[in-house]
Amino acid sequence: MDKVLLVNNKIEELTKVARFMEELGEEWGLPVPLVFSLNLVMEEALTNTISYGFDNNGSHTIEININKTGPLLTIIITDDGREYDPTQKKDPDISLPAEERPIGGLGIFLIKKIMDSVRYKRTDNRNNLILTKNIES
Amino acid sequence: MNVNVVISSDYSIISVEGRVDTTNANEFEKAVMEVVASGINRIILDCSGLNYISSSGLRVFLIVQKKMMASKGELRLCSLQPGIQEIFDISGFTSIFSIYPDKDLALK
Repeated sequence: MDKVLLVNNKIEELTKVARFMEELGEEWGLPVPLVFSLNLVMEEALTNTISYGFDNNGSHTIEININKTGPLLTIIITDDGREYDPTQKKDPDISLPAEERPIGGLGIFLIKKIMDSVRYKRTDNRNNLILTKNIES
Repeated sequence: MNVNVVISSDYSIISVEGRVDTTNANEFEKAVMEVVASGINRIILDCSGLNYISSSGLRVFLIVQKKMMASKGELRLCSLQPGIQEIFDISGFTSIFSIYPDKDLALK
């Protein structure tokens, strides 16, 4: 099963992503907590791309492909923004007390924790973020 | 998202409902910080109606907690739905907040 969603590089588009995930969850019969997690993963990845990925104010299209083959769910997010490999980002120290915790920096960490694998590829001047999760384990 | 505030001489209660995400985290921050800035230093954040949070929302929780600690106030969270609790666990937030199963226990 495959689904494609195209979004513009605007934060408001995240509302569209949430709606898309709800509909997909119903259509594919996914449990509500899983839809929550997947929506979160997509929001974190897209927020980064939309906020920091583009040098100019021009309009860019970000493509999201979701595939379910048996228990394996794969999300591929492709954009033509500046090269950025989120897998290289250092994990935050989550054992720090509140006073010492930096504000922010959790987005990519959440993606890594929720998904089973997070890979990055740069091809044809495009960023490809490939996320997989076994949803029946 | 809806934010409802009930001011009390004991614990004031801020209830948040719906989704706190990148599109509305600023609005959530503004609503909560308005209460904090008014000098109220005992707050319960009732999360029973909160059904989605992303890192943008977590960021606001941490900002409020830091602010409350700095002013020697007390922030309590209550009634986290399982999905929200899981995100708090993953983020290490469970250990930096006082979390109560329900509002009655948070008020004690």
